[in-house]
Amino acid sequence: MLEDRLLVWKFKHGSKDAFCRIYEKYRDDLLRLALSLLNEADIAEDVVHDVFTSFIRNRRQFRLTGNLKSYLATCVANRARNENRSYQRRHKTGPDVADSVTLDSSRPDHWIITSDEFRRLNEALKQVPYDQRETVILRAQSDMKFRQIAETQHVPIKTAQSRYRAGLNKLRSLLNSEVTQ
Amino acid sequence: MTSPENIEKLIRNAEISSNPLVNKAVLGDLLKQFDIAGEKQKASVTPPNKRRIIMKSPITKIAVAAAILIAVTLGLCEFIGTGSQAGIVWAEVASKVQASRGLIVRCTETTSVMPFDADYTMNYFSPTHSRTDFYKAGQITHTFYTDFTAPNTKTLTAVYHTHKHYLSRTFDKSGHEFLLEQHDDWMNPRYLIQTILSCEHTKLGQKTIDGVLCEGIETTDPAMMGPLPGPVDLLEVHLRLWVDAETKYPVLFKSKIRVEAEGQAVSSEGVMDQFQWDVELDPSFLEPHIPPDYKDMRNL
Repeated sequence: MLEDRLLVWKFKHGSKDAFCRIYEKYRDDLLRLALSLLNEADIAEDVVHDVFTSFIRNRRQFRLTGNLKSYLATCVANRARNENRSYQRRHKTGPDVADSVTLDSSRPDHWIITSDEFRRLNEALKQVPYDQRETVILRAQSDMKFRQIAETQHVPIKTAQSRYRAGLNKLRSLLNSEVTQ
Repeated sequence: MTSPENIEKLIRNAEISSNPLVNKAVLGDLLKQFDIAGEKQKASVTPPNKRRIIMKSPITKIAVAAAILIAVTLGLCEFIGTGSQAGIVWAEVASKVQASRGLIVRCTETTSVMPFDADYTMNYFSPTHSRTDFYKAGQITHTFYTDFTAPNTKTLTAVYHTHKHYLSRTFDKSGHEFLLEQHDDWMNPRYLIQTILSCEHTKLGQKTIDGVLCEGIETTDPAMMGPLPGPVDLLEVHLRLWVDAETKYPVLFKSKIRVEAEGQAVSSEGVMDQFQWDVELDPSFLEPHIPPDYKDMRNL
């Protein structure tokens, strides 16, 4: 936490080294988050790239009020949500990005390399409604507090908590049925 | 049976890794953008030298920054643009607004300095006059009238109902009052819409506002502010404009601006709504109305 504050201070004052450290420190977490939300490597990689680009562009204005990891995770979640909405607008029938694609990151030019375990989990996650999926991932993967998730989603804390429970239950039943098959 | 705890653990432990070659390439690209952003920031917040000479006092600097914030909000009241190279919708918006004979709009604004002594204002614009009524607790506390009829001057008349005072002053447009000059930029109808469209902006898609289907754009580009009257340490701009998808007239404009200079900060949030476009305003309504018992402030 203290290291992050120092990194942000240096970054705001133009230190490329500080930015490199932030990039190295959080890159994989953000890629994992974006991919879990969108399940499409190309879009997830673009989202993370855009978040870092925007972070650089707005560095002078940036103020760290919470922790850096949560801030960056929120940026990724917001952009992923926008991507998902615009996908749904383009395909008016309603599936989200994750529903319609199969995760494939085997291409050598891909930034993200996934494990079998991750792919299996994401196959189940993509069947969980987006709001619930986002809540579960932000909580379990990015360690965000329900208060932060609620703020990100513009909903009361109780809604975020119930989304989490519902999402977890859905995921549990999906994974259990996979085991019994 | 997998427990919720196990599911959480599964999510936490499902790792990914990243391709080292791509990591390096992406970092290289981001560092290039770091340099570009640094140059762009300098360009957007560094004013011309002649203005820097004027802005010696930090207090003046802050006051001017605040004036710009207010002007930005007010400026949209009568923005017009032509020949925009943006999409069809926005070009249409520009031409519809330009063709509008009169406009009524409500403005609500909060600023961290220069306390805005009104709950909201009602603004009335014709091509040659404007009137602003300041409302507090449902009553008009004061009214500003502006007459743009003369080619080289404009006359501002302020009527303070609470104290029964008034003041009228004519400004020379060709004078060296940079505040007026800046104000004129932002009040110039062509300027604002063209600036929004020429800055980096994103389309917000569609949204229903008060039952009306709207399309929006937003910009966070500091270049929106143009050259500032003094050097600033921070400049955050967030402007959103929503336009009726059917009539192509603006229905809602929201602005959030924050400026910091020499350790002092100014922020402003503004909302413009209740637009009525292409209305025909009675010219006498826009002429200063000064009751006989009101006193000229210059004689006090």
